[in-house]
Amino acid sequence: MSDTTAREPVPVTVLTGYLGAGKTTLLNRILTENHGKKFAVVINEFGELGVDNDLVVDADEEVFEMNNGCICCTVRGDLIRILGSLMKRRDRFDGIILETTGLADPAPVAQTFFVDEDVKRATKLDAIVTVVDAKHLLARLADSTEAQEQIAFADIIVLNKMDLVTAEEADIVEKRIRGINPYAEIRRATKSDVPIDSVIGRDAFNLARILEREPEFLSGDDHHEHDSEVNSVSFEVDKPIDAERFNAWITQVLASKGQDLLRTKGILYYADDSRRFAFQAVHMIADGDFIGEVKDGDPKRSKIVFIGRDLNRPWLRRGFEACQAGEDESKIQAEIARWSPAPV
Amino acid sequence: MSDTDFLLESRGDAQDLGAWVIGVAFGREGRSCAFALGDGTVRLAEGWQTVAAHDGACLSICADAKDGVLTGGDDGRLMRIDPDGTASGVATYGSKWVDQVAAHESGLRAAAVGKAVHILDGKGAALKSLAHPSTVTGIAFDAKGKRIAASHYNGASLWFVGAKESSPRLLEWKGSHTGVTISPDGTHVVTTMQENTLHGWRLADGQHMRMAGYPSKTKSMAFTAKGRWLATAGADCVVLWPFFGGGPMGKAPTELAGGDGVICTTVACHPTQEVVAAGFDDGLVLIAEVGSGRVVPVAAPRGSAVSALAWNGVGSHLAFGTEGGFAGLIDLSKR
Repeated sequence: MSDTTAREPVPVTVLTGYLGAGKTTLLNRILTENHGKKFAVVINEFGELGVDNDLVVDADEEVFEMNNGCICCTVRGDLIRILGSLMKRRDRFDGIILETTGLADPAPVAQTFFVDEDVKRATKLDAIVTVVDAKHLLARLADSTEAQEQIAFADIIVLNKMDLVTAEEADIVEKRIRGINPYAEIRRATKSDVPIDSVIGRDAFNLARILEREPEFLSGDDHHEHDSEVNSVSFEVDKPIDAERFNAWITQVLASKGQDLLRTKGILYYADDSRRFAFQAVHMIADGDFIGEVKDGDPKRSKIVFIGRDLNRPWLRRGFEACQAGEDESKIQAEIARWSPAPV
Repeated sequence: MSDTDFLLESRGDAQDLGAWVIGVAFGREGRSCAFALGDGTVRLAEGWQTVAAHDGACLSICADAKDGVLTGGDDGRLMRIDPDGTASGVATYGSKWVDQVAAHESGLRAAAVGKAVHILDGKGAALKSLAHPSTVTGIAFDAKGKRIAASHYNGASLWFVGAKESSPRLLEWKGSHTGVTISPDGTHVVTTMQENTLHGWRLADGQHMRMAGYPSKTKSMAFTAKGRWLATAGADCVVLWPFFGGGPMGKAPTELAGGDGVICTTVACHPTQEVVAAGFDDGLVLIAEVGSGRVVPVAAPRGSAVSALAWNGVGSHLAFGTEGGFAGLIDLSKR
């Protein structure tokens, strides 16, 4: 008698966004559309509307600190328990949709998928989808760090309630979103009417798909925000990267700056390796792997993107440049030293 | 027939139940053996009878106070299954999950629902509700049924069940605690943790004990019959911590049944002998004698992790189940 449970990890879509932005409307749209898929839905108890689904789980959003030496590493304890239990009847659904409260910081949710061994084995984060209200987003961004974080973490942003703004107003809001996160895909919508396949089944955390999308609008150096606000910087270099230098540098950057770095993504071409290396981090928690051979005609430009607060653009740029093979060894030592704790 | 399956083939009864086995328990009357499944049913080993218990999934199972078993489900219900398979509702808790259940032969029952532990009497009447700072992840009565321990974030709470004034002794340790047990002599409380470690408290003086070094999370632990050893899962062998001669502080644990590099997922201690049954990530079930280290295989690996394991009250029968739904009941009595 054979008895195997080795199965594909279950995709989990995280729905985030401020109260009133239209999260639950989007959720119900996903659930009622005729796509032949069954979902388990994890909602918070402050949901705006009822959710019509067979398998709905109430979550308490219990954020726990991990004692793993990583000071900003928090996970959702309730999620570890709930996902663990859902896995015991996983033949009953094809995917999981997780709705967070409007005030939730997305980091503990994302980190849960990287930190907990059971969650990591049984599920995969499909995408973080943030629903925003085109009319009120600018005000929310001004008065709440969570609203900024929800945009910074997003893979897909549903710019909702388009019927309440003019085209000019929408452009201003979109530009502001791009300033925080130029890599997210923006979908304009009214009553959360986006195609379901634009938010489900995106596989956005797959290393092989990192930075696959070209940014639609790169925030230039002229776009200066207050230090407390979230924005992004990205750099590209021509020469191959020295793997050892990059590891030493990024480890130090994440260790000292990880609390302010919300998401970091990179595609690297190492010297003496014919494969591309993909890298991503949520705060201090990093994940990286080779994602296949370099294709003919690939310009082989290594690229890194940081989304976070108080980003020191020159330091990050010089550091990444010093990771190139052939650069003077003393340069990278100096760049690593910048991020190291001052001697007591 | 594989040699490893000798006991299962010659003295066992096996069945494919088709759903994740979340737990197995023998009724205290000594007759019934019930498997709780992820599809919401309970299966009785006698004739492999199916009992509809929960609308959703079974989340927990334990022997009820006198006979039969108690189950908790994600339908918010606490159910009782008689030895003959009759199911009856004991309590309902709305949309909350009944994550943990426990019962004591004195007649007490307990159900962990969210942050509360509800204590019920033998008739199902609610006696009290114990509140905790965060969701309760594990509960355990002590051997006498006087106290109940509950694990949660940042430690465990130890309550006197009969006390008029309900305030617990808080056993604090930073981090997420995922399960709890009390030593048979009532002197120690031990929790499993999110960080691949166990934590313990010696109740006499509050002395902390850290039992670390596991390559994965410990999801199952049990004291041996006389409480000399704490057997634990989570390593590629059965790790036993000595609770005698001043241990476990400063003592190295004993390892049993290691060497295959496969993680032990479940342990169950024999009720009278210093013998431990263990289930592994590949489905292997074995029994090991602590003193001699001798290992006897019970069931061969079938590819799916052992998720449930229990001895009956006299230690003559062992039952196991796997994540894939394979279940077995083995008669180990002298012939």
